[in-house]
Amino acid sequence: MIVSAILLAGLYATMSYGLALIYGVMKIVNLAHAGVMMWAAYVAFILIVHLGANPFLVPILIAPVFFVFGVLLQRYVVQRVMGAPPISSLLLLFGVWLIMQNISYLVFSGDTKAVTTKYTLMTFQISGISISINRLVVFIVGVLALVVLRQFLGHTYMGKAIRATAQDKEASKLAGINTERVMETAFGIGTALASLAGSLMALIFAFDPDFGRSHLLKGFCIVVLGGLESMIGVALGALVLALAEALSVLWLMPALQDFVSFALLVIVLIVMPGGMKELVDRLIRP
Amino acid sequence: MSRSWKLWVGGPVLAFLVLIPFLELQGGYLQTLGFLTFLYITMSTAWNILGGYAGQTSFGHATFYGLGAYTTCILTLRGIPALLTIPVAGMIASLYGLLWGYPCLRLRGQYFAIATIGVGEATRLLMLNLDDLIKNNSLLKGFLQKGVLTGGATGLMLPTPPDIQAYATAFYYGVMGLMFFALFVSWRVKNGKFGLGLFAINMDMDAAETVGVNTTRYKILALMLSAFLVGISGSIYAQYVFYIDPQTVFGFPMSIAMVLMPIIGGIGTLIGPVLGAVFYIVVQDRILTANLNLGLIKLSLSSLHLLVYGGLLVLIILFEPKGLLGVHHRFNIWWNKRKRRSLAATEKA
Repeated sequence: MIVSAILLAGLYATMSYGLALIYGVMKIVNLAHAGVMMWAAYVAFILIVHLGANPFLVPILIAPVFFVFGVLLQRYVVQRVMGAPPISSLLLLFGVWLIMQNISYLVFSGDTKAVTTKYTLMTFQISGISISINRLVVFIVGVLALVVLRQFLGHTYMGKAIRATAQDKEASKLAGINTERVMETAFGIGTALASLAGSLMALIFAFDPDFGRSHLLKGFCIVVLGGLESMIGVALGALVLALAEALSVLWLMPALQDFVSFALLVIVLIVMPGGMKELVDRLIRP
Repeated sequence: MSRSWKLWVGGPVLAFLVLIPFLELQGGYLQTLGFLTFLYITMSTAWNILGGYAGQTSFGHATFYGLGAYTTCILTLRGIPALLTIPVAGMIASLYGLLWGYPCLRLRGQYFAIATIGVGEATRLLMLNLDDLIKNNSLLKGFLQKGVLTGGATGLMLPTPPDIQAYATAFYYGVMGLMFFALFVSWRVKNGKFGLGLFAINMDMDAAETVGVNTTRYKILALMLSAFLVGISGSIYAQYVFYIDPQTVFGFPMSIAMVLMPIIGGIGTLIGPVLGAVFYIVVQDRILTANLNLGLIKLSLSSLHLLVYGGLLVLIILFEPKGLLGVHHRFNIWWNKRKRRSLAATEKA
């Protein structure tokens, strides 16, 4: 159980890092993230079930498409409210999410869908622990994406520009960085990560047009837990949440598993807005 | 000029609304529509006190609505007169507002909005599973009646009264009164010192704090007031339809409706939420029940409601943050300009 929680954490980290990236660079909360995850799940569903694509290649095919979608969304819609109070961008993206949901209802109807492949039920044993191949591959793809992203952020011009903009937008502008281009790229990457997570989730969970909401909340919880800057923080946050969820089954009903993560979100937001980093700092230097 | 115009239009509209139950148009359909509109105006106005005046966007108001509805149902099923449960429902919703508002309102702007989504979802899941939770707990077992408190996913059913026609009419006037009460409260808040404090919080919280507004207290009071009105609405809804379940009254769509209505109409104004609620109900009830038949494509418009609301939200945020009121204002300016121009033209001639 703990192993499967760790495997799930990899997926959560992928999903949350997109949120953290967008928040870090633009200081906006992307509610459309849920919509992107949901769309990606449906696209994966079509590609795998109807067109017979390899389930583990699909996420890699989908991500670039959604990157473009994210860039366009930022350029033509979100960019317009960059100067306005943050709440308006939140509401704007909420509207985008509603539209995306409705399009899915129209195209796919409200039925719950699930992707079953020949890998779905396959497991293998390591020292008595059975591990689902499906979950393992999902974990690996998710972590790989994060590693690639880390290299990108650390070693390319655009990556460094993104980090600079996240730190101080005005100063970056003064230093000659095209911050608008940076924000478009960051939004694109965030969206691509969401689509990656969404298409991977389609392999594990059943989904419907309302699918992204609970995962979005979990994403927020992780981002706040991990602090907004570091990828390692996000990964740790994902681990904490996945473990908390898994362990909560021990003394609560399984139906309340999501309740645990939502409650955790609220508690974390209130008690330690600085995330675990702040908590550790406080413990070290009382 | 403008005042007499308002009187000429407002008077007959009000008279018509009062007379609706006697006219029995379309077999009581208009009466039900009126009931729903008044109810939604009340909620929209209530949300606006916190979300519009104080600028704290809450996606968790369905918790109050659901709690109001459930309080009424649970108490009524235990033999307490339904009318007495209405204020109790409001108070319990208000207390619940204090319970989650006190910690959450320390968060700012976007964080508060996210936390409220979390609160709303957590509350819904809790209510969905409350019965099972209590069953396993020996201390709380006493609250169950025939093994039921909230009824889980199936919800609760109230007995129907013998004379349903008179009952519905009474509720029609009751909720109309509630709407006017909510509007009165909103008007008093807006024009009083309390409202001034809330507006200051909306503009700049730090500055408000500096000039001596107790921001935390003001925000919590606004939330509790808002929750009280929404709780009463939920209670009345439960008594009107006799049946509630967690997905309807605690569901996220309910919270979304309360966010959308004031924003569509004109956030932070007195009349905006009213316009928004009327618009919302009319769109939901009249336009979206139609079926378009475009030869080849048969489109049921009812599947488009999220698209309409989402699209409106995007358009409003992008182009007219003041909503329908803003559009009206722009139209007025344009119209006056045109009139002046035509006057100038005739003078020249």
